[in-house]
Parts: sequence; C-alpha cells; structure tokens
Amino acid sequence: MLRLSIIVACRQLGKRCISSLTGESALPANLRIPSNLIELPRTKRSLSPGCELPVLRRCEAEIPVHLSAKQTWLESLRSREDDELGLVELHPDVFSVPPRVDILHQVEVWQRNFKRISHAKVKSRAEVRGGGKKPWNQKGGGRARHGSIRSPIWRGGRSTSPAASPNKASLRVLGLKVALSSKLAQDDLHILDSLELPTPDPQYLQDLARYRNWGESILIVDVNELPENILQATASLKTVNVIPALGLNVHSMLKHETLVLTLETVNFLEKKLLWHDSRFTPLYPFKLPYSDYP
Amino acid sequence: MSTSKTTGRKALDILKTLPRVSLENLRPNPGARKTERQRGRGLHGGCKSGRGHKGERQRGNRPRLGFEGGQTPFYLVIPKYGYNKGHSRQPQYQPLSLKRLQYLIDLGRVDPTYPIDLTQLINGRGVTVQPLKRDYGVQLVEEGADIFSAKVNIEVQIASEGVIAAIERNGGVITTSFYDPITLGILCKPVPFFQRGQPIPKRIFPGEDSILYYTDAKNRGYLADPEQLSQARQELAQKYGYVLPDISKDEAYRMLAMRKDPRQIFFGLSPGWVVNMAEKKILKPTDEKLLRYYNS
Repeated sequence: MLRLSIIVACRQLGKRCISSLTGESALPANLRIPSNLIELPRTKRSLSPGCELPVLRRCEAEIPVHLSAKQTWLESLRSREDDELGLVELHPDVFSVPPRVDILHQVEVWQRNFKRISHAKVKSRAEVRGGGKKPWNQKGGGRARHGSIRSPIWRGGRSTSPAASPNKASLRVLGLKVALSSKLAQDDLHILDSLELPTPDPQYLQDLARYRNWGESILIVDVNELPENILQATASLKTVNVIPALGLNVHSMLKHETLVLTLETVNFLEKKLLWHDSRFTPLYPFKLPYSDYP
Repeated sequence: MSTSKTTGRKALDILKTLPRVSLENLRPNPGARKTERQRGRGLHGGCKSGRGHKGERQRGNRPRLGFEGGQTPFYLVIPKYGYNKGHSRQPQYQPLSLKRLQYLIDLGRVDPTYPIDLTQLINGRGVTVQPLKRDYGVQLVEEGADIFSAKVNIEVQIASEGVIAAIERNGGVITTSFYDPITLGILCKPVPFFQRGQPIPKRIFPGEDSILYYTDAKNRGYLADPEQLSQARQELAQKYGYVLPDISKDEAYRMLAMRKDPRQIFFGLSPGWVVNMAEKKILKPTDEKLLRYYNS
C-alpha cells in the first residue's frame, strides 16, 4: 500500500515538472485562444532600447525605483506616414498596472446600474399614512390575522424601497488604470501630438485608420477644445467618437477597439489618477465650502 | 515575446497574446459569485424543501435565544451585578502611541515647532475623535517610548508616567487637559464652528470624577500648581534616571512655555470672541456683562 502510494506521488511530481517546463500548457483553459478564432496578425513594431529617436515626453510624477516607465510611439494625424515621430514615456502606475478583469467587470456593472438609477421616491410602509392600529381582533372574527393595513400583502400597502449600493471611488480609479494598461499592453492605445487634421473629409480619417490597423471603432479623447476639422470629420462617422477627457470611462474604453489620446490628455490623466494613490481621507463633508485638500 | 523581469507584471505579458479585452469577455473572478440555491424544486427537496417535518423548524418561528421551553432560563436565574454598570456612558479616550506621533512628525504631518493640541493631531489624520460617541479626547500610549526623539509641547487628555518621562527626557513639555463634549467638538472641527458665526464658548471645568486627575502634578494636569509641577518633573527624572534638560535656556523656550488658559479652547483666541471667516476678522465683545461672564 505504502509503495503504491509513493509510486503514484512520484508520477504526479514528474508530470508537474514536465508541465511547468512547457510554456503553452501553463495557461489555464479559459485563457487559451480558441483555434478557430480569425484575427489579423499583430505586427507590433519593436521598441529597441538604444534607438536614436528623441523621447518627446517624460513623466512629471516621480517613478518608483522598482518600476520603469513604459515607452510608446508618438503619432500624428497630419499624414499617413507620421506614425513614428518620437517616443513617449508613460507612468507605470497608470499604464502598467496588473490587468484585473474582475475589477473591470465590477466597474462596468456599476456603470450600467448607475445609468438607470431612478430618483423616484416611493413611501415605505412606515411612511405611508395610517396602519398603526390593528385592523381587527386576532381571534374570533373568522378572518385572517393581520396587524396593519399597510403591510406588504395588503392593497395599498407598501414595502421598503431598495436603495442603490454605492461603489467605491478607489475601485473606479483602479478600473480606469486597468483599462488603460490593458489597452496599452494589447497595442490598442495610440498617442497623438494634436488632433489637427489637414481636411474635414471623413474618408481621410477612415483611410488613415485602416492604414494604421486601428480596428473597427475608435475613441478619441482630448482635454482642450477640439479643432473644427476633427469635429466635422467625425460627425458623420458612427464608429469614430470624440469625448472630453473628463468623460473618459471604462465602458466607452472597452466598447471601442482603439483608444486615441493626445499628449495633454496623458498629462491630465496621469495627474488625476496618481493623485488618488497618495490622497488622504476628507476631514469635512464636501458640501462645506472649506476643504484642506491640496 | 519580451518578458518582464519582475514577476508581478507577468500578467501584462500574457495579455499581449490574448484576445482583446472588451465588454464581451469581462467576468468576475472564478468562485467569487455563488448562486443562491433554489428551494422547493426538483427531485430532492420538492416535498419539504430541506426544512424537516412540522413545527417551529419548518415554519421558522423559533423562540428567542436562551429560551428553555418555558422554564426560567439561565440568563434570568442569575441576578445582575454591576460589573459593566454604566458602560454605555463611560468616557472613551482614543489611543495615540508615541511611535505613531514620531511617525507623524517625521512625515511632516504634525509640526513640532508649534504647540501640538488635538486640532493638529486630527488635521494630520493621526487620530479620529468622535465627541458624539462618548470620546473625550486622546490618550498617549507608551508604545515606542524608547525611539521617541522629538521635542514637543503637546496637550493630550490622558498620559501615563512612562509617556511623560519619554517626552520630558527630550526636553519637551506635556499637559493633560479636560474638554467638555461641546468644546471638544469645536476643537476637533473648528472650521464648521467658525462658519456658524457663534462666539467661542468657555471651557467647563472637569467633573468630580476627573477633577483629582487634572489637579495632580504627577499627571501634569492643567489645573495643577506650577511649583508642584516643576518638583514633579525633577522627581520623575530621578526615578527614570535621566538628566532633565533646562527649558528656560532653550531656543524654543517661547513655544515650550505656551499654555492654554483653563477656560481657553484655541491658542490666541479667548472665549467670547467671534471669528468672521468671510471677512477674515475677529470680533471682540465690549459689553461689561459679557466680559464679566466670559472672564469668570
């Protein structure tokens, strides 16, 4: 019996060693790509560490010692070939956080629920007029026992109305960071110097997107006031959308295949999202005119 | 595929070869959600739904906890005794250790070049005091007394002998003082009070249960005799075996010698004054009646 069990244990150990050596089977079954998936081959241009292209943007915030800045290309909409203007450095605490799909799911569910929050007010059983007195005696009437005419099983009775559960601000911030990081890791994040277009023609924008493999749908984000040309070009396109940086959210980012940011938007997002890492609890409620936040 | 050297970022490398993260493939972590069991359906449970046969168990109207079927229950047999008498009204003092105070000072969240009172500690997010929940202030705790090395002039509500020795060994000053719940609320959150535009009230003296603590020089009480205070400082130095630094020759003597009046809540503001936040002005009363009331 003992010998048998030792032999079985040794076999299992051997199997484990072999499986850990081969890289493919290390992935769990739900993460493996199905064989029948049709997709364009990814042609990612490599970023060599010793290249001569200038680094056009450095991170304003300090980068932790154990991390290094993420690099990506700076592109332009002025012509088709302007897709390697230089390098841009991105903060690892915003653009390279561990990809937590469960957090994205929580934020997405919250966003969908929050969209349809109703401000309708229904009075609860306690707030409805009447119902304090016992309608009839407990025994002797030949009728069912009741304690209040406003109980939930009565006509005109009320139950307590359900309250919407709030979602933590820190979770939503992490959701934005995870979404940005996964877009960058999958090569779906593009950074532009500005949104200047040579023509207001929508066809030009579509051709450029197809030439650069930007996918079916594009979300363009900017902090400043948008130029006239890009507004006209995107007005008639259903799959190319422009939103201000304050409206950036997880749902829109995941709904569109490609995310396009301008350099100023990157600055804005890094400043806003990194502030949450070092912020402290508010001392006074936000409705007061005084706040001791920096 | 380039792999990152740190193990924590491996997931991002795996993500590069996976299908695009989109609204279609979001899911909670495996095992994070549990579906509720549907009772009263199917082969096993269609009859009694797992609740057994008849009675309180099936109908879910179990009697209260401790009920013994009509016999006088155990918890009523034993008579009450005053171990926890009045526990819901006993004053609470939030603990603040010397280790944490040193941490706050090192990070610059509390400035030791000014006298430290409850407002400074709360603004630096060192302690949370809730006067409505029977909190009467903070107590300084001895943890970290051996590493404490700041020279401070601090005012707390309760301090033990070891804490007093640790602070005075570094040339600091400590005072224990009493705040009644109303003035404590003002001291914790001054800005909402100033915006109300009311005159600053005067502090009330401690009640008969704590007056002995605050008049004792050994506790560095704010009502103690100054001569006895200096004597007690010397005695404590002898007991703990350190040389008491002479404060009067110190550079920061003016800061260290600052003390509040027993009726005063804030440094530099007397009771009866009104702080106008909008115009940034201080209004002082001139009526004799008022002056007599606030100075008594």
